[in-house]
Amino acid sequence: MDNDILLKIEGLEARTEDKEILKGVDLTVRRGEVHVIMGPNGAGKSTLSSVLAGKPQYIVTAGKVTFLGQDLLSMSPEERSWAGIFLSFQYPVEIPGVTITNFIKTAVNSRREARGEAPLSAGAFLKLMKEKMELVQMKQEFARREVNVGFSGGEKKRNEIFQMAMLDPVLSILDETDSGLDVDALRIVAQGVNTLKTPEKAAIVITHYQRLLDYIVPDIVHVLKDGRIVRTAGKELVAQIEEQGYDSIN
Amino acid sequence: MTGKDENGILRSGTRDKVLYVIGEETENLPFVKTAEGFRVIAAGGAGRHIVLEGNAEAEIMALVLPGTGETNLDFNVEMAGAGAVCRLFGIYLCPENERLRINVNLTHSQGQCSSYQSFRGIVGGTARVEFNGRIVVCQDACKTEAYQENQSLLLSDEARVDTSPQLEIYADDVKCSHGAAVGRLDENEQFYMRSRGIPEREAKVLQMISFLSPVLDFLPEGRDRDALAGMVEQTIRNRF
Repeated sequence: MDNDILLKIEGLEARTEDKEILKGVDLTVRRGEVHVIMGPNGAGKSTLSSVLAGKPQYIVTAGKVTFLGQDLLSMSPEERSWAGIFLSFQYPVEIPGVTITNFIKTAVNSRREARGEAPLSAGAFLKLMKEKMELVQMKQEFARREVNVGFSGGEKKRNEIFQMAMLDPVLSILDETDSGLDVDALRIVAQGVNTLKTPEKAAIVITHYQRLLDYIVPDIVHVLKDGRIVRTAGKELVAQIEEQGYDSIN
Repeated sequence: MTGKDENGILRSGTRDKVLYVIGEETENLPFVKTAEGFRVIAAGGAGRHIVLEGNAEAEIMALVLPGTGETNLDFNVEMAGAGAVCRLFGIYLCPENERLRINVNLTHSQGQCSSYQSFRGIVGGTARVEFNGRIVVCQDACKTEAYQENQSLLLSDEARVDTSPQLEIYADDVKCSHGAAVGRLDENEQFYMRSRGIPEREAKVLQMISFLSPVLDFLPEGRDRDALAGMVEQTIRNRF
């Protein structure tokens, strides 16, 4: 077995109640790699990330996904998180009445509990939180704000990267993290992602714009069209897409 | 005190803050003993008739705890003097087979008064809740401000909520609005939390707390609000 393999997707097919979306996806992600998945609207990019994170509204009809040798598809969304998967949402959800501190503390300590570890002490938790907020240039007062309530687009995405940093995942999946961001926010988000990159970890970046890739350099680029990966290449593929569009790739 | 009416006139310029706690053995709840800013009345179902004179201010909160069986909660409020303000809030927690009927009859008989009402609750099991909220703005009550909302979260297929907000306006130059909604726990919200490693059960608890938080937010920040929020959270954890 190849010990560097984190994620292996084989023949994955998935649908919603009324529509077939993924029609046989194969993808292998190794430690240290940054994969980019590009593709036109409606190709199945967001579905793929949701299926990997275990969104109950999607039905997997065929295929196999293993993460660190475990059968990912039989795990609940929280178990996947505990195993080291993180999904940064395209549209982060607002949770009125729940502060960021409370939310992320619950998340961190739930995982610690699942791994048989004691909860973090208040001091250790606050120190960690301060450090990770600085990483994405979030003001400390955000700790007391309600999760995503009244946040701008950029603030929501920074909050996603902050949570990613707190949970320290092995595999990060970023679903259109760049959409709706101005250049400054884009740079901060990219910097956060790059700082978290290590040889043991990997990331899947889903986007349909090139601009995020000015800041995050991919190792492997895939084009997803109509539920299948139709092309896999190095970062030079991005330039071809930018020049000739997705129609040129079949 | 079950069944007893709490009637009162709030004299000109006075203020009153009352919390009604309706449930089993409410006298022994820690919050009932420690509240500082509220007069706490542990009560069964009962009718309350409150008249507000000029510039009087009333803040009324009703908390209906699980296991109340069949309960009627009636509020008859009259805004009888210019400048009076009434804030009327309610939280109901009915996880089992409760039968709760909330009737609010709020009359603006004089102008330049404001009333704000917010009732939210969580209903599960085979419980039934009926909310009848009537606001009447009389002919002379110009420059009235009246707001009412009622929202419920349904946790089971057998639980039922009937809500009927009514607004009767006979005056000109008034600002009034009302709204009602009955919904279920949002699945996207749940998936968001679970994807961060929060177990399903805990995610649901957070959603319920989140749903009720706008009502608690109407109360001034401080020990009483924290204690009340704590009690609501505890009830959610233990009973839903």
